[in-house]
Parts: sequence; structure tokens; C-alpha cells
Amino acid sequence: MSGARMNNDPNEPLNIIVDTANRIFADSVDKAMLDAAESGRFPDKLWQAVVATGFHQVGSLDSGTGLPELFALLEVSGRHAVPLPLAESLLANVWAGAADGLSSIGLWQGDVITEVPWGRSAARVIGIRQDSREVVVVDSVDTTAHGANMAGEARDRIAIPPDSPTMTVSSDPWTLLALARAAQTAGALRTVLESALTYAGDREQFGRSLSKFQAIQHSLAVQAAEVAAARRAVWAAVDSLDTQRARAEVAVAKIRTGEASGVVGEAAHQVFGAIGYTHEHRLHHFTRRVWAWRDEYGNEFSWARELGAMIACSGADSVWSFISGR
Amino acid sequence: MLELDRTSLPASSEALRADVRAFLAGQQEHLAEPNSDFTTGHDPVFSAKLGARGWIGMTWPVEFGGGGRSFFDRYVVTEELLAAGAPVSAHWIADRQSGPLLLRFGTPAQKQRYLPAITRGESFFSIGMSEPNTGSDLASVRTTAKPVDGGWVINGSKIWTTDAHRNHFLIALVRTAPAAGENRHVGLSQIIVDLRADGARVRPIRNMAGGEDFNEIVFEDVLVPADRIVGEPGNGWKQVTSELSYERSGPERFLSAFRVFVEFVRLVGPNPLPHESAAIGRIAAHLMTLRRMSASVAGMLNEGKQVEVEAALVKELGNNFEKLLPELTRLAAPTDRTRDSAWRRSFEMTQLLSPSFTLRGGTREILRGVIARGLGLR
Repeated sequence: MSGARMNNDPNEPLNIIVDTANRIFADSVDKAMLDAAESGRFPDKLWQAVVATGFHQVGSLDSGTGLPELFALLEVSGRHAVPLPLAESLLANVWAGAADGLSSIGLWQGDVITEVPWGRSAARVIGIRQDSREVVVVDSVDTTAHGANMAGEARDRIAIPPDSPTMTVSSDPWTLLALARAAQTAGALRTVLESALTYAGDREQFGRSLSKFQAIQHSLAVQAAEVAAARRAVWAAVDSLDTQRARAEVAVAKIRTGEASGVVGEAAHQVFGAIGYTHEHRLHHFTRRVWAWRDEYGNEFSWARELGAMIACSGADSVWSFISGR
Repeated sequence: MLELDRTSLPASSEALRADVRAFLAGQQEHLAEPNSDFTTGHDPVFSAKLGARGWIGMTWPVEFGGGGRSFFDRYVVTEELLAAGAPVSAHWIADRQSGPLLLRFGTPAQKQRYLPAITRGESFFSIGMSEPNTGSDLASVRTTAKPVDGGWVINGSKIWTTDAHRNHFLIALVRTAPAAGENRHVGLSQIIVDLRADGARVRPIRNMAGGEDFNEIVFEDVLVPADRIVGEPGNGWKQVTSELSYERSGPERFLSAFRVFVEFVRLVGPNPLPHESAAIGRIAAHLMTLRRMSASVAGMLNEGKQVEVEAALVKELGNNFEKLLPELTRLAAPTDRTRDSAWRRSFEMTQLLSPSFTLRGGTREILRGVIARGLGLR
């Protein structure tokens, strides 16, 4: 299956990255690694594999790749629930220069940075604020508290040393991180759907496979529609990043992937029955992630408020030109 | 896995958008009661104006009066008309599916005879699929066309036929030969019937909103000339199912409630409360995503690809959205200011039309079945 590929040209840089990443992550990210990561063990070998491939520099200056490749890679990482701060490393490298060590990003709040994915393992942490392009860069990381989101992904708090430098980045950090979560979500939702399709085909009840029951078919059809919509919204946003509409399109992507996460997560678990509710099953590594990511970098409500305010401000007679703008 | 291409509308189609807007700005007499539902507003004068601009049959070959343009161009024109609430129902079916059907399966003589008049906005078609005992189970149609000297004699009835009392022609799915045992798809044909023909009785059916848009048609020994069979006799099933793809992916599948949205934005004004702006943003997020998906399908049509499953996907999401939109505005609307508002009028009309959204053009249940087949489940 092609994953995040955009066409069938195998030589497109984006397709090469997607295909290679799918292969590497499929081979290396397994249930044991996810369980270990969720109990606090950083997957060093996986990070080394990423660095060896040069993936940590995707999107950075001189890498020959840009933001479309970066977000394609994040979508693939979502498909495999890659337990690395990949979005944060890639964007930190774009903003503050490529480093081989692990970089991460969190929320700059006074003299601490909170919600830092794998802050405990990072060599560099960037603190960002909503509605600001000024960021703080911490090169000597002192973790003050370990934490995790509802998916068990490490979300740590680190101290900001008094002399830490600040810098202004070229694009709005909050917007790009919101889109990063949306892209990861689109990838993870796809895996949830694929797993549900496979399970419905394999599992038999009442003498036939679940996939032969119309109620199950319709549930899977609804899930497929949501997954397709989520993905289309993400790529519309990626394609708008160099336009005036980037913020609005990212709002759409974050809202739409968030809504899809609720619908698909619920419906997929229903298809799996009790086995999908067990810790032993891998489904929850994906559903817990999409549920957690909904609330990171602005949930559906906060983005909808912002998008709605933009539209209301332009007025009723401009609604359509806003919706159809490019 | 069902995926939609990362297609965006080309710059040339976007340039066309400005032309459509400039045209619509001068058509206020046709836009007194804007309604984005494609079945409201039967206005032959307006349709003729569109025909004169070359905005009907845009993708058809020039030799049949068409514009030889892309599906992207057609997408832009149709969504602009719907968003403005223009009265498009007279020519809509002929432009969307009767014409493309004739173009693909019709004889050269049929194309010459019917297509140029459609593109001029002078010839209007209805769809003759459902019957009193045939809804979603389309292959169960019982209306017959029997060969006689000089043509075919039709007996039976059709129902839910939008605008049959106003339009000129019906393309009816009829049985021209018995089914082959279990295979009911054999022996079906499509035939062009003049809705004013002797023996064809058209009776409008009042809907729950009080409107009279759809009809029952009874055929009693209606004589139809031999050359009105579309394509080959017996090929009707294949033709009618291919026609449905054109029917399902367009902007009319997610814009029906659009004017409710516009009036809601007007109602709450430039500084809405948090829950009001959140409702606006949520509606916009769905709408902007559906536009992208529909444009992706237009791109597939442009490349001559089969779009049956993708079209069903857009219609499934779009119809659900059309029902969600009025509801989100209702729950967020400031109740002390809604009486006598344009939003209230638009909301009530759309709410009353809304049951039809997930019925017409294939029910939600049929569409989910189509998607499930695309997923390999059946």
C-alpha cells in the first residue's frame, strides 16, 4: 500500500521518503517497542536508524526537501505510531539548524517549558508560545518533571536556564505544530481503519465473517469516509503553507482530523469488540494517540473559534469568497 | 484504501470564477429568494442566460454545442451558482447527467438532436428511475417498452420524478425484455420519452415542505419512436449505473444548506460569541474539506477515471454535512434575535427539505454499500 505517496512516480523525492519510511518503521516499530516507550524507555535504536537515513533533516535547508516532504514523513510516522518526537525534531531542525542529537519542542511558560515530548532524552529543547514567533532555545536540558499524555507519550517539563537565547522563527510555530499533529493523526487513522478492515475479514461470528454483516460494512464505510476527509484536509493545508490562507487551512485540518478521530476511534473499537479493549492488542496505541493529539496545539473548539471569527469578521456577504479562496 | 488526490483547481478555472461572480452580480431579479438547494428555482429564462454564456454542457464537445472545457471549469461554475442560491433546477439534470449519458451512449443522431438544445438552456430533462414499487432496488423496475411498428409502446409508471411537470423529456429505465432468470440486469433499456406525449399523465406530489417539485407519471400505451432508445436495447443497467457517478460527487451534494450558513453569519454579526464563532468554524471546516474532495473527483473525471466509489464517498459525507449545518446554527443561534430573521426563514425551509438530502441520488444506505464494495467487503 502506498501510504502517503501522492502519485505513482517512484522517483519523486516525497515518494522515496514515504516508501523508505514505511519500510523502516514497519520493520522496527513493534508492540514491544511501543510498550517500552510508554513505560518511559526512549527507543534509542530507532532514533539512530532515523539519523542514519537522514530523515531527521527532512524539510531543513540544504536537504533538498521542504515542508511537503516533512509532513508526508510525519503522516507515515503516525501510521506506525512511531514513539519518537519526530515532528518536534524535524521542526526544531528547520528553525534552529540541523543537529544530529535529539531535539524537542514544548510550551514556553515563564521559566519552564512544559509538555515536551521526550524532554528527558533531548539534547536541545525549543519553547514556543501561541501567537508568537519568538522562541527560546535550551541547549543544556534539565528535566524537572516526567509526564505523559493519555497515549502514554512522554510529555516532560524542563527548566529554562537564565541565559538561554531567544530567536524569531520564520513561520508561526503553533500553526506548524498543529498541522504536524493533524498529519500524524491522518496517518494513525489510516492504520486504525486498515486494522478494522482486516479484523472484520478474519473474525467469524454466526458462521460468517464480520465483514459480511451490513451493519459492520456501513460502520467501516463511515470510517473510510472520515479517514479520506481527514487526509484531504491535511494535504489542503500543506499545499497552502506558503499562502495567506495557511492559518485558516491549518484550522480546517486540525478540526477535521480531530472530528474524524472521535468518529473513527469509537467505531473501530466497536468493530473489534473486547479484544481491541485489551492492553495486549495494538489498536489502542493508535486510538489513544489520535484522541490525545486532538487536544495538543489547539483542540477543535479553539481552532473553530478562530476560524469562525475570521469568517464573521469578513461578513455574511463574503462567506463564500472566504470558503472558496485559495 | 480510498484516497483522494491532492488536486487543486487550476488557475484558469479560478479566473472563470470571477466571470461567474460578475455575471451573478447583475442577475438580482433571478436571486430574490436565494436557495442553494439545486431542486429549488425552476427558471427557464435564467437557464437560457447561462446557456448563452456557455455554462451548460461545458465539458461536452464543441460540435454538439458544448464548451470543450475541463471538469474543473464546470465544478467552479456549478459551485458558484449554488453558493449564490441561483435558480438552476430547470437545466440541472440535463447538464449533469442526461447530456453526459447521451454523449457516452447515445447515437450520433440523438447527440445532434438533443445536446445543442440542452446547452442553449432550452431543453430540460428529468430522471426516470424510481417507480411506486422500485426505490433503491432499481433493477426491479416494471415499466415496459414493447416493440411495435414504428417504435415502442410504454406502459407503467415512474415516481419521485423531479420537475417532470415542468421539463420536456424523461430518460426512463424500462424493461424491454424479460429478465434472464435470476439476472435482472438483463433486458433493461433507457428510452427518451417526451413528457407531453399522448398517454403520459404527470401528477405533481406535494412534499412535506409544501412544495410541488416531484411527480408521479403514469404511462398508458405511450408510443415512442424507435430511435429514442439510448444506445443499445438491453444495455440500460450498465448505462444507468455509470450515470450515477456524475450524479453523486458534485457540489450540490454539500451546498444544499449553504444559505443557512450565510444568514447565520449575518445574524451573529462581526463579533460573535465564542460558541457562535465555533459553530461557524466547524461548518467551514467541513465545507472547505468537502470542496477539496469534490475537486479531487472532478480531477479524476477529467482523466476519464471511474469515480463510482469516490463519488459515493463525497455524497455520504456531503449529505451528512448538509443535515449537520442547520442543526449547528440552530443550537448556537441567539434565540432572542431569530424571530423574523432571514436565518429563521432559511433554516426552516432547509430543515423541511433536509430529509430528501440523504434519499435523492442514492440513499445513505446504498452509498455506504457502494463504499463497502470499494473497500472489498462485498
